[in-house]
Amino acid sequence: MTALRASDVSVGDALPDWVLDVTPTRVIAGAIASRDFMPAHHDPEFARSQGAPDIFLNILTTNGFVSRFVTDWAGPESMVKAIKIRLGAPAVPGKPLRFSGEIASKTEESDECLVEIALRAANDLGDHATGTVVVSLPLS
Amino acid sequence: MSEEVDELREGLEKYIGQPMGPPGTAPDPVNVPMIRHWVDALDDHNPIYLDEDAAVKTRHGGVVAPPAMLQTWIFPRPKIEGIAERGGAPGEWRPDNPIPVLDAAGYVGTLATNSEFEFFRYLRPGDLISTRTEIESISARKKTGLGQGYFITWITYYLDQDGEEVGRQLFRILKFDPSTIDLSKLGAQ
Repeated sequence: MTALRASDVSVGDALPDWVLDVTPTRVIAGAIASRDFMPAHHDPEFARSQGAPDIFLNILTTNGFVSRFVTDWAGPESMVKAIKIRLGAPAVPGKPLRFSGEIASKTEESDECLVEIALRAANDLGDHATGTVVVSLPLS
Repeated sequence: MSEEVDELREGLEKYIGQPMGPPGTAPDPVNVPMIRHWVDALDDHNPIYLDEDAAVKTRHGGVVAPPAMLQTWIFPRPKIEGIAERGGAPGEWRPDNPIPVLDAAGYVGTLATNSEFEFFRYLRPGDLISTRTEIESISARKKTGLGQGYFITWITYYLDQDGEEVGRQLFRILKFDPSTIDLSKLGAQ
């Protein structure tokens, strides 16, 4: 895992695209590891009774994967400062989630560089999550 | 068309700016076993979460919890018995919460629309997190793709054992009445 520095990144740079294979195990493991026992995240019959096509990723897990998408790229020196997402189509098993992102702004402060990334996670139902992540990188 | 009085919405006004539920304290301090469950579930191999030797050489100065776990620490212990009958709520509703008022009025559908996290510092094993949550706003009744409903926005403030704010989350849901869905518009999505 490469540790990015401020000088390694520029506005307009794209993050490496990433595809998450969404499976029932993935959905349930994320829900339980985040301590979210809402049945819509592990019980298909319950999920369908609520109008969803199947069990779906809980928001904590979505935030976790959004964070991972950014820090897999930015490396262990990075610090996530904000994750702001709008939620749309559910992330359900059998529909891979495609993550893409691009640097929208870069601000050098006295002791860190704040990089804002505009990102999207979409499946073939539509946009699952769109929004921004702010990540701090070391100046050098 | 004259302005229609929405008595349900007027009855919700008293919740705005008020706490939603009592302050909460995490059932456990930030701890490595729960971090490991999360790292394994998400296949997140950033060494700062579990590898002390690697983490100590970074700006983090030692292992830290994944920032997106913030809400995980303060989830109340769930009451599994009857959870489906309660619509998935981990515990019984409290009277200072507008959600059951909307449920009782037929707005039984729930859709989360926005989550905005800010992290002021990373958490370390041993940190004990508490929260207070406040209703920020409740919209007028809106027509949406899921029928008529109300957007409810709340803000959760996350504090550490010294009372310092470590993070903040804005969360917005739509409570909708599924019987008002305009079926002619479904299928467009």
